[in-house]
Amino acid sequence: MTERQTEWDAVKQSMADAKPVRLGRHVGYWFHATPRRALYATSYAKFAAKMIGRGKRVLDIGCGEGLGTWLLAKECGAARGVDFDAEAIEVAQANWSQEPGCSFSCGDAFELEGGSYDAVVNFDVIEHVYPEHAGAFLDGMLRLLDDDGVVVIGTPNETAKQYASAVTNAGHVNLYTAERLEAELRARFEYVFMFGANDEVVHTGFAPMCHYLLALGCGKR
Amino acid sequence: MSDRSEKERWDGVKDLLGDHPVTLGGHWSFNLRNDPKRLAFVLSRYKLAAKLACKDRSVLELGCSEGIGTPILAEFATRYTGVDFDEDAIATARRNWTDPRFEFVAADLTQERLGRFQTVVSLDVIEHVEPEREAGFFQAILDHLTPDGIAVIGTPNVTSVPYASPQSQIGHVNMFSAERLAERLRERFRFVFPFGLNDEVVHTGYSPMCHYLVQIACGPREVPRD
Repeated sequence: MTERQTEWDAVKQSMADAKPVRLGRHVGYWFHATPRRALYATSYAKFAAKMIGRGKRVLDIGCGEGLGTWLLAKECGAARGVDFDAEAIEVAQANWSQEPGCSFSCGDAFELEGGSYDAVVNFDVIEHVYPEHAGAFLDGMLRLLDDDGVVVIGTPNETAKQYASAVTNAGHVNLYTAERLEAELRARFEYVFMFGANDEVVHTGFAPMCHYLLALGCGKR
Repeated sequence: MSDRSEKERWDGVKDLLGDHPVTLGGHWSFNLRNDPKRLAFVLSRYKLAAKLACKDRSVLELGCSEGIGTPILAEFATRYTGVDFDEDAIATARRNWTDPRFEFVAADLTQERLGRFQTVVSLDVIEHVEPEREAGFFQAILDHLTPDGIAVIGTPNVTSVPYASPQSQIGHVNMFSAERLAERLRERFRFVFPFGLNDEVVHTGYSPMCHYLVQIACGPREVPRD
């Protein structure tokens, strides 16, 4: 055996104890249908984590399979993921429940109790909430938030609808423009900072050309 | 085919541009001659501040120099006041930017008050403030903010010192890490959001490797008193 092989075996051995991660139906679909989607979703979660900072308790509403929740727990200190999809929560728990600070529960976003989180986030959720329920959904986020807490909401831009797949459009009943998302948050927060993303790049460019919207709110009213 | 030649069409476009020549002052003439790409880096910081903290708000720029960032900060602001203690720079700013919504003042804001603003932007200033006067700098910002105020502070990262030009090294007497800047701001604001820049690219990457730091602070802890 060459010296190089021996070294690589040592590297491999150091990683051998990592528990295998099993991607479920949703993230598995990303990898099969639009593999870059995993990059974008991870980038949004990282952006939120950096805005939230360290030593914080985060609630991730509509966490799906919990990859973003785990990233938030790892970067911010602790995160709880909630989703009404029991199958997704099973995948999330199997993969990440044993990691420090990371927990999940199956539940309805409208019925969550027990607030005072330092941050409440959701990605790719509000566009699935019927417009007549969206106000209650946002108010629910506020109830769960500490006075000094921040929210981060990510959702595809309405202007990108024309390019979305049939599968994607089937679920999207409430797409936002940057203006509407900002207005809904301004009604609830003293400060709102709007970002856009194209692919994995988060920026502050011209809103109608952003593929994805990321809104940061703080100072709850 | 058009009845106008390409040159005639271009001349028509030129007529639409108006005639607003700008003569830069000593600071920016030096920058453009020595390191023209720096213009992109600096304007990018201004755009970040403008997009996140200046729309529909009154804006004070503390340390505006020749006003190179004024048009960007003021574009969507309700009003803009640029302040600098360098009278020559303020004279250049006044000569170049004559929009009646812009105001330029030669003053030291640790000594004078100019009223309250919803946003205070200060880029490339704090690294020139002697550490013993640093608290006065932050107080000057708070003294000019409304209770719903936002402060945008930008400064080169302390980790970039080894690569700085001799001019920069002489002037930079108080370099910050992202951690120290966030600490100073958190003492005074409820919320602090940290960004980094490498060249003109704004991001949220690993802070020791950011060349430049911009932090957005909001929710002043002290209710301002006059």
